[in-house]
Amino acid sequence: MAVPARLLLLASLAASLAAARPALADDPPAAPAADGARARGGDPEPAAADATTGDADAHREDATVTVRGRAPAPSRGASDFNLRVGELSRVPRQNAADLLKLAPGILLTNKGGDGHAEQVFLRGFDAREGQDIEFTAGGVPINEAGNLHGNGYADLHFIIPELVESLRVVEGPFDPRQGNFAVAGSAAYELGLARRGLTAKYTQGSFATQRMLLLWGPSRQSTHTFAGAELFDTDGFGQNRAAKRGSAMGQYEGRLGASGSFRLGAQAYTSQFRSAGVVRADDVASERIGFYDTYDRRQGGDSSRYSVWGDVETKTGDTLLKQQVFLIMRDMRLRENFTGFLLDVQKAQQNPHVQRGDLLDLHVDSQTLGARGSARWRTKALEQTQELELGYFARADRTASSQHRVEASTSAPYLTETDLDSRLGNVGLFGDAGLRPFGWLTFRGGARGDIFTYDVLDRCAQRSVRQPSASNPPGDASCLSQQDANDAGVRYREPHERRGTASIAVMPRGSILVGPFTGFTASLSLGKGIRSIDPVYINQDLPTPFASVEAGEIGVSYARGVGRDVELMARSIFFQTHVDRDLIFSETAGRATLANGTTRTGWVGAVRATGAWFDQAANVTLVRSTFDDTNLLVPYVPDVVVRSDSAVHHELPLRIGQDKLTGALAAGVTYVGRRPLPFGQRSDSIFTLDTSASLAWRSFEVALVATNLLDWRYRLSEFNFASDFRSAPQPTLVPGRHFTAGAPRGVFLTLTATLGGS
Amino acid sequence: MAKLRARVITCLALAASAACTGTTGSEIVAFEAFAAGPADLPPDAASRGLTFTNGARWTITLTRARLHVGALYLNRSAPISGGQARECFLPGVYVAQVTTGMDMDALSSALQPFPAPGSGTADHAVTGEVWLTGGRIDQQEDRTTIADVAGTATRDGESMRFEGTMTIGLNRRNRDVDPARPGAKPLCSERIVTPIPTSLTPTDGGALVVRVDPRAWFANVDLGELEPVSPESDLRRIPDEPEPAPAGNFYGGVRAAAGYRFEWIAR
Repeated sequence: MAVPARLLLLASLAASLAAARPALADDPPAAPAADGARARGGDPEPAAADATTGDADAHREDATVTVRGRAPAPSRGASDFNLRVGELSRVPRQNAADLLKLAPGILLTNKGGDGHAEQVFLRGFDAREGQDIEFTAGGVPINEAGNLHGNGYADLHFIIPELVESLRVVEGPFDPRQGNFAVAGSAAYELGLARRGLTAKYTQGSFATQRMLLLWGPSRQSTHTFAGAELFDTDGFGQNRAAKRGSAMGQYEGRLGASGSFRLGAQAYTSQFRSAGVVRADDVASERIGFYDTYDRRQGGDSSRYSVWGDVETKTGDTLLKQQVFLIMRDMRLRENFTGFLLDVQKAQQNPHVQRGDLLDLHVDSQTLGARGSARWRTKALEQTQELELGYFARADRTASSQHRVEASTSAPYLTETDLDSRLGNVGLFGDAGLRPFGWLTFRGGARGDIFTYDVLDRCAQRSVRQPSASNPPGDASCLSQQDANDAGVRYREPHERRGTASIAVMPRGSILVGPFTGFTASLSLGKGIRSIDPVYINQDLPTPFASVEAGEIGVSYARGVGRDVELMARSIFFQTHVDRDLIFSETAGRATLANGTTRTGWVGAVRATGAWFDQAANVTLVRSTFDDTNLLVPYVPDVVVRSDSAVHHELPLRIGQDKLTGALAAGVTYVGRRPLPFGQRSDSIFTLDTSASLAWRSFEVALVATNLLDWRYRLSEFNFASDFRSAPQPTLVPGRHFTAGAPRGVFLTLTATLGGS
Repeated sequence: MAKLRARVITCLALAASAACTGTTGSEIVAFEAFAAGPADLPPDAASRGLTFTNGARWTITLTRARLHVGALYLNRSAPISGGQARECFLPGVYVAQVTTGMDMDALSSALQPFPAPGSGTADHAVTGEVWLTGGRIDQQEDRTTIADVAGTATRDGESMRFEGTMTIGLNRRNRDVDPARPGAKPLCSERIVTPIPTSLTPTDGGALVVRVDPRAWFANVDLGELEPVSPESDLRRIPDEPEPAPAGNFYGGVRAAAGYRFEWIAR
């Protein structure tokens, strides 16, 4: 059929999908696709109708760690990375957040300690602690709506890395399923345990670090039926970086009828950690303080997360139905001091005082209840598979958050900066169509609409008064019950105030995929995303000021087998994104605050080659991020990020008894260019090399891991701002360089034993 | 194929160079800092004294005029006229600082270096501050001698010697406290001379000079109102207290912005 005719037919098809021929009853739902399948831009390869359970052979596991009938979201083009961890799990990683580095353009930093969420930089975005990336684990949202430290804060430490089966990273708002916080993109962790049986793992190493891990995957059950628990304890490097945590996750997957399945899961996580915070570079240079030292040993925090979830996926005729519900309880406390003794200036209404110290004590307590569901209808038309999916997402959050300043000499709080009780609602609807006029041309896209509602009780709404009562002066109280006087004198008021508002955002998203032609697929994607605003910025009945992003990219991907055993995937993507209200770190607020619009333009290149005895992934990201009004660079965002993950593994010509030894080597290399800092400065570059070597025999494995093998002393985060840590006779009030230290070399030995696997 | 490869490499090089260039604006700068007397001092002022006539018609010859400067700061903004009582300092408005103090001779126009260099950003400053403190700015007590003067004065045939020292500690505490606003006039604000109008932009490797004119200290000081230290002595001592009026006026003169001037010497 001629191309114009097919396109006309396609247009009519979009309007009248219901009249088309139903899909064959035996059309299997698509299986999760590995990198290659996504890159081809076509429909993922169908899974085996009844996938086998895990296997001791790791490589074979990669091919069979697919879900029974679970359907993935269709590819959105070259920036849709479905990352199979596979042998690259041997590359040293501190936690589940480190898996993000398999996607291009990711830099992770942490200024708050081992239990503080990683700060994520993605393709020119400073996504802070998750505020600009939508995170999910098994479909359950991780971003915390209304978190005072950052609306969308996402702490991934509860995820046990060994229970991550795959990770889908979409670098941009191109999928209508992406919801709130998908400004820079989204990252979806899929949970599973390929290694069946009972696995015990023990790690001991530098900084008095110990980790105990138990994993259990019943041998005749799905890889999505598992349980795992870990205990972690470390003194940390340098001063004040000790951390303790425990995490447990479990999930059961069962069959539901002939073509459906259900999952029930639960998770518990609790931790306590200390944080060294920032140090001033001039103090380190003058040896007033050490590179790995801290100014304030009270910094640190506590964090806990408990959740349960359940989902159902079943096929009825030609329609695939999904439904999930989840309940999350979350508690977090952070104590951070970025500025020393700078911010406690004498106010007229206060009693005379000296600077009492800027230590922030932030607490967030939240509960989340939510659900999501969708129906995907597939049919055959024009000799191709056509799809339409309609879905919804809903969540309700109740969040109590407060922030106090704590006096250095007594550790008593002396100032309440924020005390909010927020009830947040979010309901989203989306429609997504996949239309294929030809086998080589696919239109994917649709729209998403979200409503956000806010009901915020500010318990400290009145914070200052110009003409206080002389007979009843407010003194040092933070939350006042009087307001400015009129002719009748000082007026009484309650210190609290309730504010509410609601807004709706509609976001079109679409992709065109052309190919594959001899392995090459070209794609063009456009989309709009949003980030809801922190409740602290809400005003009564004023429209909720969304931060919205408009993104576009054009890319080419290549995926093909090379020779007998090698799968090769490569991508090249040019992208541009614009955010109308960005967030920039504020040391005085201790979190990101609203700034002007920004635009980022760049290029991403990624390659992955997987063979029978090796796995190699590498990526490069170049990006330029600028403010719209001044064309100045956006500070802190890296403009060059290079990452390589390598693993080789093979049987060795050595035997113990009848069984051969298997050896493996792995390395992760990160290079981050000199990041722009405020006041025309550039940070140092970062280069780290993490390696591991392991020997396996039957069900036993011993691994030696070295992080930062070259022991390069580097600054993980760098900032320019004013602080006064009393290192000079008089206050230091102009901006200076601060940094958090990257970890020195660490060496860790891990012993693993697996019993009872099939 | 070779052409294609060359083009790809060129494109990547261009993308990389575009990514790695640009600035976030402004610049961090380091500079030397000096204090000095007025530039128009006679060359022998340090040895023979500085002679001038003040607003009370006293012809004063200053033979000693030393000042302890605790710190210097330059601001990007000027205080709002008629605004509320200001905080002692406002984080976020400063573009330059010299945080290590020194004792300077205000009768010498030679540049006297501060013991440690200053730092700042390459942003335009419109006002400056001179901090007259020996300890932390918000401490209650400070016995550091801020100003130390001596000289002779004549008026209508009357002549005298005088001397005085000045501190800013609890002796300068606000005694008229508004119970509704007990922190309205904190002691720290007594120690800061501001706003000193200026117009300069610090540059890396340059030098900041603060010129101190001791003539301004005596602008309204009627030395004749001081009592001699003894009936037979011609020496009058300026008390280190708010009263009597000459002592208060001397204190006010040392704290007057008119007596200070900032200059910038480019590298």
